[in-house]
Amino acid sequence: MPHERSHIVSSYEQELEQLRAMVAQVGHIVEEQVDLALRAISDHDEAAADEAARRDPEVDELERDVEGLVIRLLALRSPMGADLREIVAALKITGDLERIGDYAASIARRAMKAAADRQISLSGLRSMGRLVSENLQKTVEAVINHDPNQAMEVWHADRGVDEYYVTLFRELVTYMMEDARNIRACTELLFVAKNLERIGDHATNVAERVFYAVTGENLPTVRPRGGAAAPGKNKDDAEPTE
Amino acid sequence: MTSPLLSSSELRSGESMHDVALAVRDLNFYYGDHHALHDITLDFPARCVTAMIGPSGCGKSTLLRVFNKIYDLYPGQRATGEVMFDGRNILESSTNLDMLRSRIGMVFQKPTPFPMSIYDNIAFGVKLHEKLSRTEMDERVQDVLTRVALWNEVRDRLSAPAAGLSGGQQQRLCIARSIATRPEVLLLDEPTSALDPISTARIEELLDELKEEFTIAIVTHNMQQAARCADRVAFFYLGGLVEVDTADRIFTNPRQKQTQDYITGRFG
Repeated sequence: MPHERSHIVSSYEQELEQLRAMVAQVGHIVEEQVDLALRAISDHDEAAADEAARRDPEVDELERDVEGLVIRLLALRSPMGADLREIVAALKITGDLERIGDYAASIARRAMKAAADRQISLSGLRSMGRLVSENLQKTVEAVINHDPNQAMEVWHADRGVDEYYVTLFRELVTYMMEDARNIRACTELLFVAKNLERIGDHATNVAERVFYAVTGENLPTVRPRGGAAAPGKNKDDAEPTE
Repeated sequence: MTSPLLSSSELRSGESMHDVALAVRDLNFYYGDHHALHDITLDFPARCVTAMIGPSGCGKSTLLRVFNKIYDLYPGQRATGEVMFDGRNILESSTNLDMLRSRIGMVFQKPTPFPMSIYDNIAFGVKLHEKLSRTEMDERVQDVLTRVALWNEVRDRLSAPAAGLSGGQQQRLCIARSIATRPEVLLLDEPTSALDPISTARIEELLDELKEEFTIAIVTHNMQQAARCADRVAFFYLGGLVEVDTADRIFTNPRQKQTQDYITGRFG
């Protein structure tokens, strides 16, 4: 925790606690969304896919609530120092988490389309999904525990996600070249892989915010990235449009 | 809480941009037996606004009082150490107090206009130090009243009593009076604590203009004010200087836990 002492004004302290609880709630929902989306891919679980998408409005509403509370805190409490950093970070973290939720919903929808006819090995995608899910879980823990060390760990761990993406990209392109009938399913899976990679990027953004909010220092601007030569590394590529 | 924590790079950049107007070295101050300031070492860069913040009784106003030696009026109050101003230690007894106070002006918490006309409030101090013709004096009065954004409000009633002005106008008149003797340093002891928000905003805007020419040291209990006005902020606690740094650093990421607790309202 950034402070051992409580604020002299107890209602201010309560509002900060409320903000922390709301951000944690967004984190937990988004974690669930990602897990549901991964289950939708691995197990062709249609119910899980529906559930992942169904939770989206809940996250959107919480994001609006966080924004409202942050504006209220900035206007009425004039936060300074660590409080200011934490409050601004909460706003940005919630934005990143909300995007992660969007990607999860997008993955869930594509999973159903990809599963339609062709049998393509999903083992690479499953491994990538497990790592993304694990990193996200650690990220949310870092948010809740105000833990800069864990944030730094996640920040570094995203390199593995990038490497998976590059490998998967090559694999899926190979399937497509082998048999044109694979193209539709592989394209969907490529989007899934890209969305997972973007989830990883948003998780590292969250980790950077946590690190800054707690320590007041910025992590380096350039993150060590895996698969730097990967095709489609432009961050605007394959953004979900839904 | 003995020495100002200033990174070497900041010191360098501070020195390259601004000379030091006032250099405080190992300053101790005593009200009789009460040791009010402990080993203060702090630079006030020229043409910068330096704000002093801290809880009541932390010594920030005492430090201002040292700079123009108001304490000299009171027996039992004494200062040791150095306050270097224009190459001399002003704490030495040989310091010419009239000259010192014309070069280091002070504005207090409550507006203190003299019981005379608006015009004479400004002319009074100038006459003590300079011999100006009537025309020159008129120009000086207009110049300083314009600079504190009061000229348009009082140009038609310069001979009216200053006591008839509003609180905010009186405070701007006091600032005009202080700068009329063309000081190098302006000391402000909570100059807006008795003013409404509009008058406060005018004074803050004024500080921004005055710092082009003057070195400004301001004591304030209003942290937002320090954040808005100051280039540098010094945090005092129990008579010691805890931390001095850019306003940006102090209010977003101070180095010392005591500063952090104070600015976030966690001081117990």
